[in-house]
Amino acid sequence: MDFIPTTDADKQEMLNRIGVKSVDDLIQTLKPYLQDKLDLPGPLSEIELVDHLNNLSQKNKVLKYFIGAGSYNHYIPAAVAHLILRGEFLTGYTPYQPEMSQGTLQAMYEFQSFICILTGMDVSNGSLYDGSSALAEAALLSSSYKGRNSIFVSKGLNPEYFRVLKTYSQGAGLTISNELNEDTACVIAQNPDFYGNIENLRYLSGQAHKAGALFVVCVVEPTSLAILEPPGNYGADIVVGEGQSFGLPLNFGGPYLGFIAVKNFLLKKIPGRISGMTTDSNGNRGFVLTFQAREQHIRREKAGSNITTNEALMAIASTIYLSLMGKTGLLNVAESSYARAHFLRDKLTGIGLTSLNKTPFYNEFVMQAPFGTSKRILSNLLVNGILGGYDLGEDKMLICCTEMNRIKDIASFVTITKETIN
Amino acid sequence: MKLIFEYDESNSMHIPTIQDLDDNENNSDEQMEKYTTSGLPNELLRKELPLPNVSEPTVVRHYTNISQLNYGIDIGFYPLGSCTMKYNPRINEDIARFDGFQNLHPLSHEECYQGSLQLMWELEQHLKTITGMDAFSLQAAAGAQAELLGAMMTKAYFRQKSQTQRTKIIIPDSAHGTNPATASMCRFKTITMPSDSRGNLDIDKFRQALQDDVALVMLTNPNTLGLFEENILEISDLAHKNGTLMYCDGANMNAMLGIAKPAEQGFDLMHLNLHKTFSTPHGGGGPGAGVLGVRAFLADYLPLPRVTKNDGRYVFDYAQRKSIGTMRFCYGNFGTLVRAYSYIKSLGNSIRNVSQNAILNANYLLTLLKHDFEVPFDRSCAHEFVLSSKRFGDKSALNISKRLMDYGFHPPTIYFPLIVREALMIEPTETETKETLVRFASALKCIAQELREKPDFVKGSPYTRHIRKLDEVGAARKPNLRWAPPIHPD
Amino acid sequence: MLEGEIRFSKEHEWLAVKGQGIATMGISDFAQKQLGDIVSVDLPRVGSAYNQMQPLAVVDSVKSSSDIYSAASGEVVEVNEELIEHPEFINHSPYDLGWIVKIKLSNMKEFEQLMSKEEYIVFIGEIERKEQESTDLPTNGRSK
Repeated sequence: MDFIPTTDADKQEMLNRIGVKSVDDLIQTLKPYLQDKLDLPGPLSEIELVDHLNNLSQKNKVLKYFIGAGSYNHYIPAAVAHLILRGEFLTGYTPYQPEMSQGTLQAMYEFQSFICILTGMDVSNGSLYDGSSALAEAALLSSSYKGRNSIFVSKGLNPEYFRVLKTYSQGAGLTISNELNEDTACVIAQNPDFYGNIENLRYLSGQAHKAGALFVVCVVEPTSLAILEPPGNYGADIVVGEGQSFGLPLNFGGPYLGFIAVKNFLLKKIPGRISGMTTDSNGNRGFVLTFQAREQHIRREKAGSNITTNEALMAIASTIYLSLMGKTGLLNVAESSYARAHFLRDKLTGIGLTSLNKTPFYNEFVMQAPFGTSKRILSNLLVNGILGGYDLGEDKMLICCTEMNRIKDIASFVTITKETIN
Repeated sequence: MKLIFEYDESNSMHIPTIQDLDDNENNSDEQMEKYTTSGLPNELLRKELPLPNVSEPTVVRHYTNISQLNYGIDIGFYPLGSCTMKYNPRINEDIARFDGFQNLHPLSHEECYQGSLQLMWELEQHLKTITGMDAFSLQAAAGAQAELLGAMMTKAYFRQKSQTQRTKIIIPDSAHGTNPATASMCRFKTITMPSDSRGNLDIDKFRQALQDDVALVMLTNPNTLGLFEENILEISDLAHKNGTLMYCDGANMNAMLGIAKPAEQGFDLMHLNLHKTFSTPHGGGGPGAGVLGVRAFLADYLPLPRVTKNDGRYVFDYAQRKSIGTMRFCYGNFGTLVRAYSYIKSLGNSIRNVSQNAILNANYLLTLLKHDFEVPFDRSCAHEFVLSSKRFGDKSALNISKRLMDYGFHPPTIYFPLIVREALMIEPTETETKETLVRFASALKCIAQELREKPDFVKGSPYTRHIRKLDEVGAARKPNLRWAPPIHPD
Repeated sequence: MLEGEIRFSKEHEWLAVKGQGIATMGISDFAQKQLGDIVSVDLPRVGSAYNQMQPLAVVDSVKSSSDIYSAASGEVVEVNEELIEHPEFINHSPYDLGWIVKIKLSNMKEFEQLMSKEEYIVFIGEIERKEQESTDLPTNGRSK
């Protein structure tokens, strides 16, 4: 199946018109030239393809998830997939020609608006690759804006995000430090943090600004923003995060959806594409990519970031999710996730585990199992089709609940755990 | 078209907060009722959530209507140079949505993701076969991210060899903007290399520029002029003798599938854009996947985790070796990898037909148009070509592109590469018919005639889209980048 | 050298010395036409010092981004904050409201070696002539 529609007759006519005998004559300048066919299996017909891929997918096991740690199992309304499968959204290109792309550009503008409202910030872009690289971009942006080379990272940042930050920083010659001083470009804090803790970050924000650094808040579970104070209200200069909770499937880690939002003074520094509202020559409202002069295709080596392709379709999916859920639905999701997590926590405390969160938490929390039992607990849960949490080591488990965790599964979780420790 | 925020409706989306319908046991009702977020300290809570409530029928109508303002490959010809706008196979959308692929948590236990890991491992093997490279990372979400990864690995490699004086990257003047931007992100300096009269990299200037401070040469082959680098073997030979590495921007791989292998041309690193050559949908600008292939001597620098196969079991290998770290949370754009894998499986060893037909289509279209426009270089092209409309004056490429919309076509890439004035970069891809190419060429010829007879008319286009020419200057001078909720007067 | 005399650099900046070695700098009418509608300007910090031909500002149009070079060495003593709200001043009034920075010159000789108005007119005439003849040039007239 190569989807090539050209008939042999057409091919011959085209070669004649060009004035060559075969396509080989056109490829002569390409060296070295392969003589044999590539050693690839196939081709496969559609029937065989489905068979083969189906077999592969069935080697995977989808469980009941009581785990978050950066990817969250929320319900996705059916209409999201139907809408993003529309050919106009799916098969369109980057909206460099706005008259051909008003659909994408309006959806981007709406996405940018949702992010600004939820984070309490002034300006957002049309997406970055994922939350971790968005954080890295925020660090680079801060360094460039402040002319400083040190990054202060608050404890409680997702360890994968920390690794990505370190990789990008090394490339750019920045250092990650636990000292806040006049060389600090930005202070980074995740909220709720990796262990689920919801922090009051006003003090840290003040400290950052006193040192002349930017304050960056990283939101990895953004459904929390339905109920929590938006970071823009407690001093964030930049908010980054992961939009996967907003209508994107778990997808074994990607494609996900990075977002970045800033206060107005950083508008010119924000990386990636931005959709702006404007009018056409008849005075009708329309949208265009704007501030393109920041981007790589214009600034080239002076661009702050090299990002080109982003996660546009994922941003559209998230926008549709947020529209379908609306204020009421999103509050429901947050309440349901919160309630189920706290219900489970209390049940586990009731059978002898210790709750370790010192601050209030949203939908993720850490439990300490009796000495030497956590591995057996997790493996017994696994046997029963439950992924019971992220193993933090030393009998600590990072557990997450969302609206997708049924009460009867929560009950099973508790029963199995109780049996294991006895 | 209204904004989604301009609706105010009843929203019946219901997520059970506490009780589940099927849970008849316990009196969890009473127990769960105490768990509400109003129990959180007040200073942590937001005071208002100014999001709209919209009913599902309206949401579906809204997004269906705005989607219809878009053009897509499903609608018509999309001759964007270096974008490879080929047909996106629908079966891949179904396959990517199989439960076992789509609903798998990335932090699952190893025994739960054998199918996905097998897919990733096999994909890597196929990409090695296609390109001749020895190892691939599937982690990067885009070509630009893969380039960044390649640049970081290059830096680490030379640091390892104590050659930190290598601070420069050579890039042709026809290069895509990501190449110099990537160099900057890694604190490399760029040396720009001109092209010669045949559109190849100027080999004499290249030889002179190759000093011991050059770490990397970043080339696209075929280059952005749509031409195969005739001296590629000499270029890589010179680079290697100078201890410099060679990077291939594989955006134009649609010209080389089954015909040539970048590794055999002397490239040490390369990326492929799965959303270009390998048919995964563009989605309005993403997602994509920028897989990075390297020769064996660089494999240890690849990001973690790698995917390895031991006795029929697939594992994520986190052994540090000389890895530069990791570029993202968890593995890569898996959904995109599935689609590309499926595409490669469906093509099999007939993959060469793709490039042969892409090259045929491009040369045919070039032949149809070469007397109506300037062709900067008198050579047959690869899978794309560049025309110049400068005989029609300043801004003619812009005006042609807007007028093409009235003829039902998406414009080609304009004003790129930078070295050709009034450039129109056209890539037809192999999934277009001869009939489409003829119609497109006709449209351009008509517009050329219009430019001769009534240029002011052409300047006012497009006339038949939902919208006339948009004020981009106003959008930048008076930015309106988001909707804001009305401020309550209290 | 006359007070208020205007001189031009090869990168199309103009410099006019008003008194006490303070010069006002902007870009020429030719340059603003080449750039098209300007949408934003990155201004340098007051107090920063630049050598001749070092980039000190960036001017963005919708489709391009261009460095503005310091036409002579010196210290920036004032920047035109109006350009933040009104970047279009550079297009509409490149020699008056569109001034970009005021520099305290450190080397008067550099100023004297710049082109006079008449020499500049000849200079841009040459550029325009070359553009007509050549096959491949970048679409904006500013050299890289």
